[in-house]
This record gives sequence, structure tokens and C-alpha cells, in this order.
Amino acid sequence: MENQPMLKVTNLTKKFGNLVAVNNASMEVYPGEIVGLIGPNGAGKTTLFNAITGLYKPENGKVVFKGVNITGFLPHKICKLGMSRTFQVTRAFLHMTVEDTVRVGAYNRRNEKNVLAKVDEIIELCELGDIRTRVCGDLGLAQLRKVELARALATEPEMLLLDEAGAGLNATELSAFMTLLQSLNKDYHITFCVVEHVMQMVMGICQRIVVLDSGELIASGTPSEISHNQRVIEAYLGKRAVNYVN
Amino acid sequence: MNSKRLLNQRNLLMLAALILAALVPLAFRSDQYAMILMTTVLIYAVLATAWNIIGGMAGQLDLAMGAYLGLGAFTAGTLLIRWSITPWIGMFLGGLVSMLFAMLIGFPLFGFKIKELWYALTSSALVTVMQVIFLMWNGVGGPTEVYLPTRISPLYSLRFNTYMPYYYILLVLLVVVIIFNNRIRYSKLGYSLLALGEDEDAVEVLGVNSQASKLKALMIYAFVCGIVGGLYACIYGYLHPSFFSTNMSTEIAILGIVGGLGITYGPLLAAVLLVSFREYLRASLGGGMEGLYLAVYAVILILIALFQPRGLAPLVNSGYRKLQTFFGELRHGKPADVESH
Amino acid sequence: MIETATQSVITGTMMGIIYALIALGLSIIFGVMNVVNFAHGDFVMLAMYLSFTVGTLFAWDAVITPVITVPLLFVFGLITYYLLIDRTLRQMYVVQLAVTVGLQILMRSAALIIWQAQPRALQYSFIQGNIEIGPYSILTSRLVGAVVSLIFIGGIAYFLNKTWSGKAMRAASDDLDVASLMGVNYHRTYALTFAIGAALTAVAGGLLMSFQQTDPQGGVRFGLLSWCVLALAGLGSLPGLIVSGIIVGIAETFAISFIDPRARLLAVYAIFILVLWLRPRGLFGRK
Repeated sequence: MENQPMLKVTNLTKKFGNLVAVNNASMEVYPGEIVGLIGPNGAGKTTLFNAITGLYKPENGKVVFKGVNITGFLPHKICKLGMSRTFQVTRAFLHMTVEDTVRVGAYNRRNEKNVLAKVDEIIELCELGDIRTRVCGDLGLAQLRKVELARALATEPEMLLLDEAGAGLNATELSAFMTLLQSLNKDYHITFCVVEHVMQMVMGICQRIVVLDSGELIASGTPSEISHNQRVIEAYLGKRAVNYVN
Repeated sequence: MNSKRLLNQRNLLMLAALILAALVPLAFRSDQYAMILMTTVLIYAVLATAWNIIGGMAGQLDLAMGAYLGLGAFTAGTLLIRWSITPWIGMFLGGLVSMLFAMLIGFPLFGFKIKELWYALTSSALVTVMQVIFLMWNGVGGPTEVYLPTRISPLYSLRFNTYMPYYYILLVLLVVVIIFNNRIRYSKLGYSLLALGEDEDAVEVLGVNSQASKLKALMIYAFVCGIVGGLYACIYGYLHPSFFSTNMSTEIAILGIVGGLGITYGPLLAAVLLVSFREYLRASLGGGMEGLYLAVYAVILILIALFQPRGLAPLVNSGYRKLQTFFGELRHGKPADVESH
Repeated sequence: MIETATQSVITGTMMGIIYALIALGLSIIFGVMNVVNFAHGDFVMLAMYLSFTVGTLFAWDAVITPVITVPLLFVFGLITYYLLIDRTLRQMYVVQLAVTVGLQILMRSAALIIWQAQPRALQYSFIQGNIEIGPYSILTSRLVGAVVSLIFIGGIAYFLNKTWSGKAMRAASDDLDVASLMGVNYHRTYALTFAIGAALTAVAGGLLMSFQQTDPQGGVRFGLLSWCVLALAGLGSLPGLIVSGIIVGIAETFAISFIDPRARLLAVYAIFILVLWLRPRGLFGRK
């Protein structure tokens, strides 16, 4: 079982007109891992996430989750199977309260009778108790990121995709966030795939890193391998910088 | 939090309003005009409250009310005319026909992710289309008015010569629709609808089937419109394609918006206040210049939309809270706890 | 059969070009300002009534009446913009809908007060009769309507591409904040846009009045027609708008000739739904 990937993306391609946003990308995420997906701006990370979670239909390729071919599935079906996500630009339900927002997610596996217990559990877990009756439109970015994580957690996923969940957080918020992710990974056995620009977070919590550039996968390995990889440095800093480093 | 408590202040207030609404007609028993006015207000109140489910909660600006109302009216009316089936049954069958029709329309519409402006436009056009179809369909009367007969007894055919019975039937319907509204609002469907009204992709990745949720909301709404349609035909005593009215359809949506989106009592409040105001204007201005009362009414609608874009309900809510706080302080010496919805 | 079809194509093309002119007004308002004007059809209705009054008053042909009605509707557009639309720009489209529907009710009831409920038509016309080409005939008034419409569409194209105001409008449509930074006063640009959109309905109203009548509910049809043309064309292509107008016009005349005169709206609606389902960006849209 341990060797079976939880998520397996094979030769995935997504185009917008003539623009190839993701080109023939393949990657795997194994149960219990925290995998970082990094790459320069416009590398196609968010597009890849959207194609995996069913918001986009890929032109080519296959997405297999827990052995089920979910290519072309609607997002809510994928969520039922146990995968949810957050968004790069937070997409909160601005007119709803925090507890109602979490409740929307909690209904994924709960019915009217036991939904509230889940809401309470998640709110405590994410330390949202102080703001549970506040309307999301009144919250700051750090709080919104937490609410977005909370509502995704409420769906009781086995795997979570986080799209730049650390962006815009200050150092204290970031380290609290990282602690939370690690505890979710250890205690709740949630597998993570995170798109991240904040290197502190990527290097701090990811066991493996996958690098995407111009829609193509260029490298995969442990954080220390990746930080010494020629092609990765090239992609981020350009060819001249590599010569300079050498 | 207190929404679960049956006898909270809000419910007591509603109960008082209900008793008042039930008693008022007794005072105006002999005043035919007052009875027409109150019945009209109730028709709009039921429709606007039902609209809240699709328009307010789900955020789908449906302007097709007339299509569902007309279908319900023609179903119930034709059943009575052709087969002497009582409208008591006919109006529910009308509701079912409207509901099925809504499913046929909504399934592809929501499936192809037609939303916002384009949903509003297609639903509005649907009313005109239905009107044209019924104008051309001579089997149910075509362009001529078809009068409803009284078969067996007035009670059986739902044909009364006073408005009082209709008023009470509509009042019962209103109560049912309000209760239903609240039940939906605090259920899985309600939370899903409110969330998808804000962001459809975000709600999908949380496991909500947005297409199915919207379709459910639309079908419930169409069912209510169909039932009202059956009553509508009996109240007016005839069938005519003008029942498929774009004007009335948009008006229902406007009442929903002006009342306050997503708040059960908002559309109800708007319907009661604005429609009685409109009918009052019609009575006091109507004689001289046709259309003047509508012009004044339109100006009021525009002013509310411009200066109170979140609707009347928040305005009344804040007034209500101030009163509550005031009385709470009188009683306990501290502000009373306040509900959010 | 084929003759009827060809005749329908000819008539439909003429009508379609006028529809394109109406839709052009809606298109620049929606495209530049992203404002949803539900009352656009009622602007056409108002324009037709004004043409009727001007035509009756001076015993003019309907086609000439835009000389007076265009400035009238331009001013009416300005007033509408500053009184209503300007305040809804930063609001949800729902509020825009409520306000423009309110405007719609207001305009219909005003028409009812001023011109009463019965349909009105102009009697004077010096462009009468048909032009016969073999077995086919073209109503002169429609031909004139189509030609004048094309001239105005061309004029708008020139305005948008060559003049500073036109460029400002296009800039505002691309990015409001950048346009403001570059010194475009978007309130004024928007007011101008809205007024031009209204003025175009005055031209169309005059042309339509030379062979049609109107009543207070007359705007419903033109509202649906112009949204349909807009949906079909998408935003940003004037030739596309003309082609779409013609498609809608032909569909309408086909429905009239082969099904029932009352079925014309069904044809328009069918196109509308099909486009929204199959090609939500429109046939020629850039967005």
C-alpha cells in the first residue's frame, strides 16, 4: 500500500487557445507526504491544481486519485472522494459567517445531526473560536487563509492541495501555520500538496519538492537536492545567474 | 444560535403579525376593494418569499416567475374546464407541471453554467416565449379569454364571489412558504445555496454539487409559483396568455432585491409595503391618468435600489435591534443578545 | 418555397442591419462600462414615440425625425447616466438590474401617460413603395433603414478608432484604473458612452417608425432582440455585430414566413439559448 501513489498525474496537458499552460506534466504524491510544487510565476502551478481538482478539463493526460481515474470529474465528486483545496487569491464567502462557511464544507461527510460537532471540532482545531460568528467580509488576509483551510478540512479530506496558503502572512503567522500543517499531517494523516512561493515554508515542511517551469516539470527531489539543482536555479534566476554562481 | 428556539422574539413577532393578518379581513369584510388589495398583496408576498430561495439564497436572478405561474394557471384551469377536476387538486398538479418544466429548463441552463446576467436574460425571455406559445395554442384558448365554470359547488371549483376565502388560502400558503424558507435556510441546501451564490468554484471543491443545488432551488420555487398560478386563475375567473407576464415576473425579482437578498422576511416586507403602496396609488391616482401610479411606484423602487442597495430588511433589522437593545436595557440593565438572521 | 426563402433572406437582412444598430448602443454601454441596461429596448420604444410626435407635429417623414430625436435621446441618456447609472457603477449587477428595471417601468408608464395605450404609427412618408428585382421586392423604407444604419455603424467605428473621445472609451473598457491614471475622466467618458448608446436608439427608432408602429410595451421585443444580437456577436467586433444582426433578422423573417407571425420571438429565443449554450463568448467575441 505504501508504495501506491495517492495522487498520480500522467502526461497532463492544458491549453488556453494557443497558450500551453501545462505541458505533459507527470507527478506523484504518496500517502502521508507533504509535497511542495514550486516554480516561477506563470509556470502553470495553479493551472495544474485546477486541472487536478476538476475546475479545468485537461486536453490530454490522466489524473488518478486513490486508484480512481478522476480525469474530467466535476470538483464536487473529487471532493467526495477525499480531495479538497484552497485558492491562491482567497475566495471566501464574504457574506457568510466563519462557522457557516465551515459548515458548508462539513456537510460533505456529515448530515444535519452530526454536522455541528464537526464544525466545532474544526473551529477549535484551527483556533477560529474568537471569530466564529464574524462575517468573512470583515476578516483580514491571515484569518481568511485560516478560514479557507478550515472549510477544506471540514470536508474531511485525505488529501489537501494548498495554493500559496502562506502568501501574505507575517513571520509569526507563518510559523503557526506551518505547525498546524505539520500536526494535520502527523495526527490527522492528511497528505498535502502545496504550491508555495515562501521558501521558508517549502524548505521547512516539505519532504519532497517538484519544480514546474513554463508548464513543464523540470525537477523533483528533496529540498536540499532541489536547492542545488542547475535547471531549477536557471529557471528561477536565468542562465546568466547560473554562470555567475559557478 | 437561537434560531433553533421555537419561541424566540422573532417568532413571537411573526405570530403576532400572522394573527393580525388573519383578523384584518374580518374588519374589512364588506369592503370589496380592501379585500382585493389584501389578496393582491398576499399573491405578491407568497411569490416574492418563494423567489428568495432561488434569487436570494442561490443568487440566481430568476425572472421567469410568469412562466411558472402561467403554466400552473393553465394546468389547473384546463383540468377544471375539460375534466371537472377540482382546483384543490388542480393547483398542486399545476405546481408539479411548473416544477417539471423548471427542471427541463434549469438542467441544461445550470449544466452549461449560464449565470448572472445571462441567466436573468434567458429566464426573462422564457416568459415571453411561453406567452407566444400559449397565444398560438388554440387548444387551451389561444388569444381569447376562457372563463372558468363553476362545477358542482363553489367550494369544489374554488370559485367564490368574495375574496375572503382566497385571502385565507393564500395566507396559509404564505405561512407554509415562510416555514419552508426557514427550514431550507438552515439546512444543507440553504448553506450550499448561500455559498454558491457567492462563489461557485469554491463551493464545488467543498463537495457541493452546485448544479443540483440550484436545480432544487429552482424547482421548489417553480412549484410554489405553479400553485399560486392555479389560485390566480380561480381568483380572476379566466385563463389568458397575459398571465405569462414579464412585467410581473421582473417585479417579483425587484421586490426580492429591494427587500434584501437572502433574508426570508425581506421580500415579504417589500411585497407588503410596496405592493400595498402601489395599489393605494392606483386607487388614488388611477382615475385621471393611466400609468401615473406606476411611474411614482417606479421612482420609489429606483430610490430604494440606489440609496439602500442592501435592501429594506437590513434597515428594518437595525431599527429592530435598536428597539431590542432599548427594551433589553430597560429590563435587564444590559443590551439583549442579538441574532444575526 | 425557394422564392419565399430568398425574399425572407432579403427582408431579414434589411431588418437585421437595423437590429445591429440597436445592439450597437447596448454593446458599447455593456462593453465599455460593464453596465447592464435592462431598459435598452425601452429606449427604442421611447425613440419611436418621439419620432411619432415629431413626425406628426411637423408632418415629417419618420426617417428625418432623428434630426430632433437624436439630441433629445442624447440628453436623456446623459440625464439617466448622471442620475442613475453613475451611482450603480461600483454596485453588484443586481442593483443595476433593479435600477434599470425601475427605469423600464418608469419609461413604460410615462409612455402610457403621454401617448396612451393604443399603438401609434406615422402616416407621412415620402419613401414609399417597393423596388422590384425579378420576383423579389424590397420595401424602400427598409432599404433606407438598412443603409442609414450601416452609415451610423461605420460612423461609430470611425469615432471609436480615430477620435480621442473614442479612444478614451476603449481605454476605459480595457482597464478603468489605468485609464483614470492616464487622465481619462471616466465619469465623463461613461456619460458620453451612455448618451451615444441612447442616441443610437433614436436613429433606429426613426428608421423603424417609417414602417412600424409602437406601443408602451414595444420595448420588450427590442430588448430581447438586442441582447440576442449581442450574445451572438460577443464583444468587440463591429462586423461581427452586423453579421449577428443579419442572422437574427433572417431567423425572424423565416419564422414569420414559414411558421407564424407570432413565432418570430421563438426564433430569436432559440438562437439566444443556443448561443449561450454552445458559444458563450459569441461567434466573434474577443473576450
